[in-house]
Amino acid sequence: MNHEQHYRAEWLRLQTRRQFLSRSAAGLGTTWLAGQLAASEGSEPVDPGDSPANGGLHFPAKAKRVIFLHMIGAPSQLELFDYKPELVRFDGKECPQEYLEGQRFAFIQGTPQMLGPQFPFKQHGESGAWVSDRLPHFSKLVDKVCFIKTMQTDQFNHGPAQLMVHCGQPRIGYPSAGSWVTWGLGTENEDLPGFIVLLSGGRQPRVGNALWGGGFLPSVYQGVQCRSKGDPVLNVSNPNGVSRDVRRKAIDALADLNQMNHQEFGDPETLTRIAQYELAFKMQMTVPEAMDISDEPKTIHEEYGTEPGKESFANNCLLARRLVERGVRFVQLFDWGWDSHGSQESESLNAGFKRKCEAADRPMAALLTDLERRGLLEDTLVVWGGEFGRTSMAENRGGIATRFVGRDHNPNAFTFWMAGAGVKPGMSYGETDPMGYMPAENPVQLRDFHATLQHLLGIDHHKMTAPFQGLNQKLTGVKPARVIEEILA
Amino acid sequence: MYAASISLAINTSVAKLYRMLAVLAGCLSFGPALANEVDFRTEIRPLLNEHCVACHGGVKQAADLSFINEDTAAYVVEPGDAEASYMLERVLSDDPDEVMPPPEHGRKLNAAEVDLLRRWINQGARWQKHWAFDAPVRQAVPDVPSRYAAWGKSFIDAFVLKRMLDTGLEPNPAAAPERWLRRAALDVRGLPPTPAEREMFMAELKEVGDAAYGQAADRLLEDPGYGEKWATPWLDAVRYADSRGLGLDGRRTIWKYRDWVIDALNKDLPYDQFTIAQLAGDLLPNATMDDLLATAQNRLTQTNEEGGTDDEQFRVEAVIDRVNTTWQAWQGLSFGCVQCHSHPYDPIAHEEYYQFLAFFNNTTDSDLSEDFPVVRVPKDPRQYSSARELDQQIDAVWKTLWEKADQLNRSESTWHSPEHLHASTNNSTKVVVEATGEIPEYQTRGNVAKNTTVVLECKPPEGLTQITALKFWGLPENPDSAKLDSEWGFVVSHCKLEVRDANADEDAWREVKLQRVLSDEPFPLLDPMDSLNAKSSRGVGPYSRMHFPRSGVFILQDVLDLEQVADIRVSIAQNVFALGAFPLVAHRGRVLFSGDQAWLDWAKPEGVWKQLADLKNRRKKIESVATPVMQQRFATYHRPSAVFERGNYLTKSEVVRPKVPEFLGGEPEAKSDLSRLEMANWIADADNPLTARVAVNRVWGELFGTGIVSTQEDFGSAGAKPTHPALLDTLAVDFVTEMRWSQKALIRELILSQTYRQSAVASGEKIEADPGNRWLSRGPRNRLSAEVVRDQALAISGLLSDKRYGPPVHPPIPDGVWNPFQGGDKWKTPKKGDEDRYRRTVYTYTKRTIQFPISAAFDAPTREACTVRRLTSNTPLQSLMTLNDTLFVEAAEALAVRMEKHADSPERQIEYGFGLAVCRDPDEDEVTRLLKLYESLCDSEAVEQEIQQRFALQQLAMVLLNLDEVLNQ
Repeated sequence: MNHEQHYRAEWLRLQTRRQFLSRSAAGLGTTWLAGQLAASEGSEPVDPGDSPANGGLHFPAKAKRVIFLHMIGAPSQLELFDYKPELVRFDGKECPQEYLEGQRFAFIQGTPQMLGPQFPFKQHGESGAWVSDRLPHFSKLVDKVCFIKTMQTDQFNHGPAQLMVHCGQPRIGYPSAGSWVTWGLGTENEDLPGFIVLLSGGRQPRVGNALWGGGFLPSVYQGVQCRSKGDPVLNVSNPNGVSRDVRRKAIDALADLNQMNHQEFGDPETLTRIAQYELAFKMQMTVPEAMDISDEPKTIHEEYGTEPGKESFANNCLLARRLVERGVRFVQLFDWGWDSHGSQESESLNAGFKRKCEAADRPMAALLTDLERRGLLEDTLVVWGGEFGRTSMAENRGGIATRFVGRDHNPNAFTFWMAGAGVKPGMSYGETDPMGYMPAENPVQLRDFHATLQHLLGIDHHKMTAPFQGLNQKLTGVKPARVIEEILA
Repeated sequence: MYAASISLAINTSVAKLYRMLAVLAGCLSFGPALANEVDFRTEIRPLLNEHCVACHGGVKQAADLSFINEDTAAYVVEPGDAEASYMLERVLSDDPDEVMPPPEHGRKLNAAEVDLLRRWINQGARWQKHWAFDAPVRQAVPDVPSRYAAWGKSFIDAFVLKRMLDTGLEPNPAAAPERWLRRAALDVRGLPPTPAEREMFMAELKEVGDAAYGQAADRLLEDPGYGEKWATPWLDAVRYADSRGLGLDGRRTIWKYRDWVIDALNKDLPYDQFTIAQLAGDLLPNATMDDLLATAQNRLTQTNEEGGTDDEQFRVEAVIDRVNTTWQAWQGLSFGCVQCHSHPYDPIAHEEYYQFLAFFNNTTDSDLSEDFPVVRVPKDPRQYSSARELDQQIDAVWKTLWEKADQLNRSESTWHSPEHLHASTNNSTKVVVEATGEIPEYQTRGNVAKNTTVVLECKPPEGLTQITALKFWGLPENPDSAKLDSEWGFVVSHCKLEVRDANADEDAWREVKLQRVLSDEPFPLLDPMDSLNAKSSRGVGPYSRMHFPRSGVFILQDVLDLEQVADIRVSIAQNVFALGAFPLVAHRGRVLFSGDQAWLDWAKPEGVWKQLADLKNRRKKIESVATPVMQQRFATYHRPSAVFERGNYLTKSEVVRPKVPEFLGGEPEAKSDLSRLEMANWIADADNPLTARVAVNRVWGELFGTGIVSTQEDFGSAGAKPTHPALLDTLAVDFVTEMRWSQKALIRELILSQTYRQSAVASGEKIEADPGNRWLSRGPRNRLSAEVVRDQALAISGLLSDKRYGPPVHPPIPDGVWNPFQGGDKWKTPKKGDEDRYRRTVYTYTKRTIQFPISAAFDAPTREACTVRRLTSNTPLQSLMTLNDTLFVEAAEALAVRMEKHADSPERQIEYGFGLAVCRDPDEDEVTRLLKLYESLCDSEAVEQEIQQRFALQQLAMVLLNLDEVLNQ
């Protein structure tokens, strides 16, 4: 920040704190949007193009909140959504050289063989979307969903590629999309964190909390991991023997003493701290309540396939609904085990992958149905995807045919689907080549996806920036990004 | 920030801001300037940066025009004649196709801005270097009005007071002595004063008056806690962590470096030496163990151990990180953007990035999961010098020995090609024999499988009557391109030599014993002798990448007489499978034979070999920790460096030599072809315009919350301007000269200044006029760092261990936090009562992908990249942490016990606890309020009153530990 910006930020912080204290809400400090609003209050519009009618946003927000389902490991698009009859014919044949030239692989050596789709595909719904027989529940909902078949990334190892998906950079230290959005818009429910992360248990994402890190944004915008086991939020329970009543008394005393301190020193941060203790006290109720799915009716449990108290993708799908229902801005789910190289049983298309599909199909379908039933799908954006795609060739790690069937990493083409707020339902965007290896038309970069995500939330990706290292940083980075207008409803 | 680019209309709600900006504007001018003279640095440069350089700057030079330098903008500016200047013509144009900036890029310049430009050009269009790129000069200490004579004691105060009064603010009176003591103790050593220290200070104050402050400051600076406190900001800057980051984030043993930093700070190692040791300690003549250890700073970069990752890609990323960290931490500039293009604002050219990168491009590390190269650092620092001496002896003896053999190896007449070479493998890897050159070789075709043994059968070389050594020579597929774009290397896991006599049965091979292996470099990463160990997959060869043809010589146990021998068979097993993806198998290989008796003479296990073995044995007895450090590549195999097009290491262009950039002054010729050590000397030179300023500013920021340059990470033209430029420059000069680069001297000067001693009381007016306290009209009151928040709670409660140094510890963390990707990385929490549970936070295991929860909640960075400034937040998650985390619960329990033991009545207990927590006696109101809480928790008719009183005291202790006053400086 330069000098003026620094002062301006200080001033805005103060302004917002006043508003915050008078409303006795917040806890997030100054969001980008609050800054926009404070700046536009009674002065010229922030930008002539921005209508004040959008509440400080650049566009009318179609989406108010986001649920992002990330299948860590990169699920095979060729076994789920990207049906390639031509690849069936090539099954077992040597890979044509044109596909190998200039390509870098993680594990494939020399000339591999092509691998046909491992499961039968069928068209579904009015849109006629192709889905394999691995997702029987989800395939009934294809008319609610928009597929992007030509997602591209420039990273072919998991760690950097996962960072690309969430932070737009292959390096650690940049804010994740959830942090940008929470910093941008704040949250609708001050009693819960604005950006919540849910892990299915099992293996952790390899880059860990960097996937939901706040980077150079204030740390308050980083994702908060909520857990199904132990404290849902770290230290949300009182120590043994301390009742809520005792805690109330202690916090009251603390507030009074801090108030005295404020009388003497006049530091506005002291007032914020008093409010934060109050908020923490509230969160001790609201978080466990939000995270407790045992009060859901039996029909819901059956629909999702949930079991209270377990760490699972199904539980997290239901939790995602509960959280967006309560106004959480960004809910990030991470599932694991989708890295189907074929080098071992659990990570092979013919075994482990089948189990992953079985476990994911019902809950993700239930989530869409449930959100729609409650009218939430209208303004909640649901995104599903991995960090890259998988090759049209079979893997031959170490130059030896693997025991199980698998595919290597393919950064050139993979499938995302989006549903809900502002996205055209029942459509498919982008086509891959007959082998499903490269885009044949309409490639979509991750930065285009990020631009589109922000657009749906009412934000022009060029304009929401944070200064860092001499550059106005943005989620979409420095290369040109475009909103995928074609998929907007 | 986007919001800042808007134009403001005058209106009641922004009037206050306007007032504030007006105050600010009054303080932005630099040095003496004529009333109407336009100042390029403060008035024109920001204008150009905001409106022009996006298209006419370092990244793009539309129409060959760049406003970075005078000469690249000369054709649009006519000095002295604004109306004749093309620049102004375009700025003023009404034609939307002509006007600059173009409407789609930004708004038109307003009248005031145009006026500035016009006046600047008319006044001669004088360009000035950015302030921070000229060496600092000591400034005259300003006179302060006589009524303040008693206020300011040091030159710092005079500078501060001048700016303060200029902005219409008045200084605060001094804080109560005890408050100063607490502030200084927390700032200097990260721990609050003990009751005894408080008493002593108050007694001395009575006795010697003001001199007591100096005495207290000296004691605090001598406290070993000083190094533990000040290590943290430095460890942030050099991205210290105990894990490798990206990929698997496995554990890395590098804590010896952390101890080095603490120790160097406590010894007050002058900052120039501190700098040189960390950047190039390995290249210092007579480098000590400490010097080597200091270079571990460069090895804190991330290593990607994920399967299928390219070691060269992540080696390059690590080198890039070293460049960026060096610039960020020492020079306060974000050099990273020059990786892809010239700097957008500052005069740094694209190729200068790669010239600088060349300083770091010739070390032997290459993203290996073993963290090679390592040095064995003795556990006990008292053995550093004896261990280093032994290492030097071993290296010297070995180097002489190796050189002797290498000479033989390099003599062309030594080696003879075999006849009738035939190649096969043990697996699916296909090989053919090519004899295009003089020496026949095998070449792989198609896929290379892992665990490949290449079997080479041949006839004995013509004219050779005996064999004493054989050489395996692996070549890159393309030796020309490999120099810049390395290929995967090879490792000879095992070498087997067999012969078959004439007329013998087909399978009557007999094995010939080998005794020694010689590498073509003196200090390879892997032990070449492992090639003779059938159980090890390691051995001689370039691990894991190769830029040049590389070889290993295998010396026979005895002379092999060739008289009877008809056939020779050499089996080269190459079993390293790097990252689960890349078989390290030479794609081209040759085998050569020597009959020179000298090999056997050299290898004789007597004399010097024995001396070597003895030395190594003695060294082995010194218990040591293998620590990654910097090690230069053997000169013969130096890598060339090249510019990467758009920052992509796969597309290299022009080859460059190591050089420091031009824009920081000095003689250009003197800056070319330097060594890394010379580069380090250049940074640590008294004349470097940035080094001292950046260091002084960092210390200032630690003490006052914000640096004099608030963007501690950016001293470039896009960074913040200093609020007190004259003070910054004077301090920087003093730091180098008077203080001889002593950080302790600098801190002493600052904490004894009246500026620092001021009370932190902030009136409503002061908050309004100066919310960030940039004009320093009140004392600092900032939230303590994560480390100090935790350490202080331990100290107040009496739990803190004073054990220093050593391997990282694992204090309690909430359930569910520890779930590392790599299962073997355990978090072993010591039991209650074990002192490792209560160590200073700096000793806590720092894992990049799982941050220590207290650190995460209180804004500590994750240490992936250089961080020179922490942003402070104030959140409910922090409250949950200090209310409920095991550490704080234990601290509250311990504090309650301490209070209980100290006195009988609740009042006295409260007073004592309060004093421990904030180093002052509580007011009556404060005691009353705490007593009220105590009574409300005790008022029922309890059966076990003692238990209840203890419980109540614990709640009181918890409140004390959570006081806003405790959490702040």
